[in-house]
Amino acid sequence: MACAIAREVRDGETVAVGTLAPIPASGVLLAHFTHAPRATVIIINHPDYWPFSNGSKEFYDFAQRGKFDLFFLSGGQIDRHGNLNLIAVGDPERPRVRFPGGAGAAMLYYLPRRVIVFRAEHSPKVFVERVDTIASPGSTPPVVVRAGGPWKVVTPRCLFLFDRARAALVVEALHPGVTRDELQRQTGFALEFDPVAGVTPAPTDGELRVLRTRVREAVAKTYPQYADTAFGR
Amino acid sequence: MPVAGHVGSDYERLRPEFRVIQNPFTPGERIMLVPSIRPDVALIHAIAAAADGTLLLDPIEDDALLAQASRMVVASTERLVARDELRSVGDGVILQGIHVGALVEAPGGAHPTLVRGVHPIDGDHIREYIAAAKDDATFKGYLDRHVYS
Repeated sequence: MACAIAREVRDGETVAVGTLAPIPASGVLLAHFTHAPRATVIIINHPDYWPFSNGSKEFYDFAQRGKFDLFFLSGGQIDRHGNLNLIAVGDPERPRVRFPGGAGAAMLYYLPRRVIVFRAEHSPKVFVERVDTIASPGSTPPVVVRAGGPWKVVTPRCLFLFDRARAALVVEALHPGVTRDELQRQTGFALEFDPVAGVTPAPTDGELRVLRTRVREAVAKTYPQYADTAFGR
Repeated sequence: MPVAGHVGSDYERLRPEFRVIQNPFTPGERIMLVPSIRPDVALIHAIAAAADGTLLLDPIEDDALLAQASRMVVASTERLVARDELRSVGDGVILQGIHVGALVEAPGGAHPTLVRGVHPIDGDHIREYIAAAKDDATFKGYLDRHVYS
């Protein structure tokens, strides 16, 4: 997932990573240490990648001005239209599951030019036909100010692209070893495949080496437990 | 106050106090307004403080904003120093004493969370809390060990 994310980072861009996002942090740093050395990298709560001095307010204000080229969000539920549910499963007044809430996600899905949605669990419970509550809509009517929106969805099984014209997720690539049938069984909506859908390139030895050295070391400053357990050897 | 985004999400339905209006400056655009949050009391912990209530705060946190939003601010501090020594203690943002209603010297007052430059987060303690908070009996044990003792 980190390698798939890294490949979406473009050199020279302003790329920001929010809270509870160690996989995007790893992917962005991998890109920064390889093909995107001139990217401006912002990682919330990271001592070396936090260019603000007035709390998260300054970060959110910066985002509201449309200064992020690339940002990352996730969802308790994610549907085929790119809607994210960070609020609750079931009736929000009597929820079966209560998620932490949208926080800035109802703004941060609109203002960054491209948003990558990431989720480490690819199951029918997460990838649903229609989310129960929309914290962050995948698309909005033209009267709503919206500079950006969903771009890709990265999971451990595949990479979706967001078709903005139809407001629909389309499989762009399957990760190595995943079949279309298997992916369909793990997804709660009928999959559409891009006509040229292929296989995600496996991480190269070079990418793995950078991940397990410089990236792991940098990520440990914000996510020590993740850095200890997630990188293999 | 206006917030970007949000229009078209279920917040319009779930939060009746949030209003969507036409942007008076850009006809045709719809924007969301939300009421400001006015806490009665803010409890904040400073890296250092002077006796007049001026605080040295962690620049990563939103304590200065929280203090200015609240009707009353009660601050605790790792240590008290002279007013003109505050900036030499370490990196931080200054919150002027005019915002602060009460101040107490309480080293370790932020434990088990961190005070940057002073002590790290106490992960073991937080894991113990999470385990103890699962039911009333274990939580009482936690309170006996760490609060009442």
